[in-house]
Amino acid sequence: MIYFDNASTTRCSEQAAEILIKYSSELYFNPSSAYPEGISVKNDLERARSRILRALRAPEGKLVFTSSGTESDNMALFGTRKPNGSRVIISAAEHAAIYNSAMELKKRGYDVRLCPVDIGGKVDYEAFCGLLTPDTSLVSIIHANNETGGINDIKALCAAAKRVNPDVIFHSDGVQAFGKIEVDLTDSGIDLYSISGHKINAPKGVAALYIRKGLNISPIIFGGGQENGLRSSTENTGAVVAFAEMAAYFAENRKKLTENAATIKNKIASALSEIEEIKFVSGTDSSDYILTFSSSKVRGEVMQHALERLGILIGTGSACSSTRASKRVAEAIGLKDKYLDGVMRISFGIYNTPEEADEFIKAFFTKYKELSVYGS
Amino acid sequence: MAAEFNTILIRYGEIFLKGNNKRYFESLLIKNIKAALEGIDCKFVRSQSRFYIEGFSLSDKNEVISRLTKVFGIHSISPAVKTPTNLEEIGEIAASVSPKSGKFRVTVKRADKKITLKSMEVAAIIGGEMLKRSPSLKVDLFKYDFELNVDIRENGYSYIFFESIPGAQGLPAGCSGKAMLLLSGGIDSPVAAYLMAKRGLNIACVHYHSFPYTSELALQKVVDLAARLRPYIPNIELYVVPFTEIQYAIHEHCPKEYMITIMRRFMMRIAERLAKEKKCGALITGESLGQVASQTIESINVTNSVVSLPVFRPLIGSDKEEIIEIAQKIGTFDISIRPYEDCCTVFLPKNPIIHPKIEDAVRFEKNLDIEGLIQKAIDGIEIKKISQNP
Repeated sequence: MIYFDNASTTRCSEQAAEILIKYSSELYFNPSSAYPEGISVKNDLERARSRILRALRAPEGKLVFTSSGTESDNMALFGTRKPNGSRVIISAAEHAAIYNSAMELKKRGYDVRLCPVDIGGKVDYEAFCGLLTPDTSLVSIIHANNETGGINDIKALCAAAKRVNPDVIFHSDGVQAFGKIEVDLTDSGIDLYSISGHKINAPKGVAALYIRKGLNISPIIFGGGQENGLRSSTENTGAVVAFAEMAAYFAENRKKLTENAATIKNKIASALSEIEEIKFVSGTDSSDYILTFSSSKVRGEVMQHALERLGILIGTGSACSSTRASKRVAEAIGLKDKYLDGVMRISFGIYNTPEEADEFIKAFFTKYKELSVYGS
Repeated sequence: MAAEFNTILIRYGEIFLKGNNKRYFESLLIKNIKAALEGIDCKFVRSQSRFYIEGFSLSDKNEVISRLTKVFGIHSISPAVKTPTNLEEIGEIAASVSPKSGKFRVTVKRADKKITLKSMEVAAIIGGEMLKRSPSLKVDLFKYDFELNVDIRENGYSYIFFESIPGAQGLPAGCSGKAMLLLSGGIDSPVAAYLMAKRGLNIACVHYHSFPYTSELALQKVVDLAARLRPYIPNIELYVVPFTEIQYAIHEHCPKEYMITIMRRFMMRIAERLAKEKKCGALITGESLGQVASQTIESINVTNSVVSLPVFRPLIGSDKEEIIEIAQKIGTFDISIRPYEDCCTVFLPKNPIIHPKIEDAVRFEKNLDIEGLIQKAIDGIEIKKISQNP
């Protein structure tokens, strides 16, 4: 099998799976317990927190562990203090976790604005500055776009926002970027940053929200007061430790891993560029891990199914919304007519090889030729 | 000793007033009940014109009830306390399972004629025993808060129960034979299956799959629909026919506006071929007159004309709302509205013909190797195993 849908989720690495088993069967103690076994697990949890903060280059910041990127995004949008009716800005190509949370804020009376993006899913800087007002209380801009791989310059956007309102809270959904794109949260001035384990070969069910030092937010889940009262629930210790392990792995091997992804991406992009009716959505400066394109002749979904029979798994836009045939982001990036249905996303991970790229190209061309005869 | 509702009493009532067929109907119903309860540890007991399910763990009681209410041919069921027939003991148990205050009546059915007292007299004795134990109770034969029923059977046991839960009614699935349903994945065809099964049909389903234009998810949806129907149709079968090549051929050789008409003619032909092979005496579709272009009188005539088996269309006169109501009741609605495309939405022309003519369809089909295409599709059939929920 060739798995080219790593932006959707990744295979849990062996080291991460081993950690998960160890904390499930041997070190299963509740970190809130007062006996030595519990205290030891608590210490492991805190070490994991420090490791991830180090990977984010924000050792002074806070990190709250959550269950998913979606939960982290919800915490950022609903746990922050915002004057009633104040302005909230998000990009038009946000993940559904931000988009739908923002729509809920709109229902609650906030002045929610969507900032236009280019075909690569990147925020239009001028348009963004035009939307900023002194009463803007919250901005949320995705770091690496999950559907296009477009990378936003969140440092510049954050600075622009703070110039207009120094008290604005700047959040970024870093789920696709974390581990893959270098980030320095201390230097960039970002207030909140969401990250998730299963996108970097850690288990599902673990994620986190980074909170800048000095910023106070409110919990959205109440209970036993874990995570300093910000996220009640017994901590998912094994998954947290595995998450930290993989965060460190990505940080240490970033150059090597990125080069591998880039080799695969470039091989495929150069082959696909021969097909006239294929339009690239991912720009040349997009994430090395994501290549999105669209065909006016073959629907993305049809190509996906044809390839799955050959053991090649790819995506069609965001897997989280594919069941609803959502074209929101495709429309936001300006795709039209048949190109709206022709979107295919291939995304790479640490287990992919350049040989797989060759095999993919061969299979893709064979199937594409067959299917394009009948149109979409 | 706390009495427990350890028995389910099954009534199958008047449907079996069919003279000589009674035995046949009963044995089918028993078979279907046993199939419905597959995987649950329990005992089936038969006594005169009553069936009983006993010996189940109390934690399975609700599951047993839920499954039994979906078996066609059952009139009603009641969870009951089974106890040896002894009036004093019955009174004691009745008091222990009844509310401790309020107005009540006792209704007795006495099949055991060894008890010489009349039913009313037995009821009075049991009521008296209850009043002795719960002095706040009051008898009121007409304006009562609860009715306690006691069935005194010939086997030396009595059954004490309150509620009577309506069954699925209808005739036992299979007593009317078997038919082949065209199952699309939409809202209508599962409802058509349910309605025809209620009239005693066993049902085999045929589904047309247009890979790669329709996905594994679309196929899973159809498997899930069949599984949701299985409690009603214990022997449901599902055949998946690869349909893409036929669609390619029609797309290439026939006028666009006839795409759906000719596609449906192929579906009917294949369904009939399969029906005869699987010993089905009829076809079933979920068509409702005028709902879409392929469901006008002319369209139905053109598609109907390629088969000779009778085609049952139980929804032909139903409104969408009525169909949805049943779909919600039988639990297929939530599955049917999953948004995956089915084969009818592939190569969909902008303006499908609403009043097609048989002679035109026949003329256009001359460009196709009908026999070859059908045979190839039938050779590629995949049989899906439908397992019991959950």
